[in-house]
Amino acid sequence: MEKNYNNIVKGLAVVAVLGLVAYIYQLYSGLIVTNMRNPFSWGLYVATWAFYVGTAAGGLVVSSAIYLFNARQLKPIARVAALTAFLFAMGAMIILLPDIGRPDRLYNMIIHPNFKSMLPWDFIVLSSYAVVSAIYTYTLMYPDIAAKGVKLPFYGVVGRKELTEEGLARLREESDKKAKRLAPIALPLAILIHTVTAWVLATQFARSWWYGGVLAPTFISAALATGPAIVILASLVVFGYKDKMEGTYTLLAKVSAVSAIIMLFMYYNDFMIRFWWHNGRDFDALKLVFTKYIFLHAVEVIFILLSAYIFIKYPKDPKKLVQGSLSVIVGVFAHRFLLLPPAYNIIPLRVPVIMHNETVEWSYPIAVGQIRGNLNNPEKVFVAYWSYVPSIVEIAVTAGVMAFLVLAFLKLVQILPVKEVEQ
Amino acid sequence: MRKLGMVIDLSRCIGCRSCAVVCKIHNSLPPGTWWQRVETVGAKEHMIPTGEYPDLSEVFLPIPCQHCENAPCVKVCPVGATWQREDGLVLVDYERCIGCRYCMTACPYGIRQFNWQSSDDSFKEGFKNAGFEENWFKDKEYRYGYPLDHRTKDGRLVFTLKRPRGIVEKCTFCVQYVDQGLLPACVRGCPGNARTFGDLNDPNSEISKIIRGRDVFKLLSDLGTEPKVFYIPPSRKEGKGGISYGKKL
Ligand code: SF4
Ligand code: SF4
Repeated sequence: MEKNYNNIVKGLAVVAVLGLVAYIYQLYSGLIVTNMRNPFSWGLYVATWAFYVGTAAGGLVVSSAIYLFNARQLKPIARVAALTAFLFAMGAMIILLPDIGRPDRLYNMIIHPNFKSMLPWDFIVLSSYAVVSAIYTYTLMYPDIAAKGVKLPFYGVVGRKELTEEGLARLREESDKKAKRLAPIALPLAILIHTVTAWVLATQFARSWWYGGVLAPTFISAALATGPAIVILASLVVFGYKDKMEGTYTLLAKVSAVSAIIMLFMYYNDFMIRFWWHNGRDFDALKLVFTKYIFLHAVEVIFILLSAYIFIKYPKDPKKLVQGSLSVIVGVFAHRFLLLPPAYNIIPLRVPVIMHNETVEWSYPIAVGQIRGNLNNPEKVFVAYWSYVPSIVEIAVTAGVMAFLVLAFLKLVQILPVKEVEQ
Repeated sequence: MRKLGMVIDLSRCIGCRSCAVVCKIHNSLPPGTWWQRVETVGAKEHMIPTGEYPDLSEVFLPIPCQHCENAPCVKVCPVGATWQREDGLVLVDYERCIGCRYCMTACPYGIRQFNWQSSDDSFKEGFKNAGFEENWFKDKEYRYGYPLDHRTKDGRLVFTLKRPRGIVEKCTFCVQYVDQGLLPACVRGCPGNARTFGDLNDPNSEISKIIRGRDVFKLLSDLGTEPKVFYIPPSRKEGKGGISYGKKL
């Protein structure tokens, strides 16, 4: 077991370092090493960003539900949940770094923000979310930190205070009170990060795959499907499966399953409306999903349904819980990736042309931004379709960030008192 | 205040792509980047007629940046690097752009172009892929195009020969010329005189006179972006090239 754990940590460290190397390589060569180009200008990084924002939600929703809805079953895992919220909110911001062409100029976001754009708002809500979840985590852990201290590597124990029994009890009460006060801030923020992230995309009239009011609710339900799954996995890592926590896991599994079904309902509700008119950009985006991207679409639907089935059928079996969580994560990740191709490959500028008495929408091609091919086999300069597959560098960077987040989680749960002391 | 705009007469456009080439040279566009596109509507390749014989048509549609009055690219730019000047030009500040590419997603006309690699690298690669082993310029620092940096009155860099890596660029209506009272390169370079540039707010300007009383259209006008590029629809050409040779032919 110990050896296994060490191997996992080593493996993760290797992936994280490879990711860092890939990022340095990308910094050195430019975004040319990605497979994004002018007609397809956002790729895997942005999809992962949307995914992380989703997974970040679960944490604070779970922890604040304890106080807001009096869901006491969730109390034992509150700290772990809040910690995942913090890590994934950070992850969402980190994964945007490699997508930026000039990270050295990011300070412009602070000195010249344009509040008509949704991006500065997203930056604000995401960083507030990270801060609030950090405070939340700290508040929940404070009494134990004071009692036992935190053992930092190379530094020794910090934060320990001499406490009497009553003093500790008072601290616990205080922490509970403070958490209760933080809950009403945390929950709306958790909802906001998805809403604003969805708005970044949903406000774009040019992209019919995103445009409209359905994206934000779908984002929230997707978050409520993956968030609990992440918390389940994290708590299983920290606590293992204890019969005493049966209720906790069952509740999380149910929340995830119900949200997954609601998400699919909203997704297909949107499909129905696109399908019925059977024409135009909205329909063509849908058509792309069911032709060129049918495999990816099958992955998202099958895995999300599978997870809902597992969670409802076997909420008490730890092995099944892991399977269910992984499958919802895979499904929603595919769902996130599928945000992009139908958005970019339906070129907004189309001109209707009448051919054989039938109107055909002709897409105006876009310059790729690079000379491809060679003298004898030149490749197209202007294209109306870009089959985007992430490059090795993009995959390495994304995997690196993911590995880093898991590593950070594993380390933090070792250092911090994430387990509640039995009272 | 001036509102600069352009009108393009599609009857006059012969699809020669001179505007695109002239633009490329004057604005020192990197290989693979085009601020100006001309395509044959409905065709897979440029200059191939659409339809079925004998009902063929060949309409060329040149597209510069539309310099939208209600520009989505300006709205989405998180740092205000893309902005609209009082005279209506939509410009990119090369020193402020963070390269997030949100504007590329927002622009419905596919105008915006990103610098995926450094100027040196892209020229080197461009020459290589075009069959030249070495950088073809004798002086590696050489770039074709308007040689000076251009800044707006408030000091924002809107034109420079060697584009910084990782930023977005696009058609500026040749701001470096317009600010000196000259016409954009595409307008001067069009052999069919299809383009007219000028002040839309001045009722006596040439462009206002052309637009007035004519059937003009704007691209994707249903989106409400309010382009300042107007098009005169192509008229049906009788016989050869619009010249009537009489009933016989
Ligand atoms: S055409 Fe595109 S780049 Fe030009 S002003 Fe309009 S939205 Fe911006
Ligand atoms: S890429 Fe540059 S110009 Fe475009 S939205 Fe981002 S910062 Fe603004």
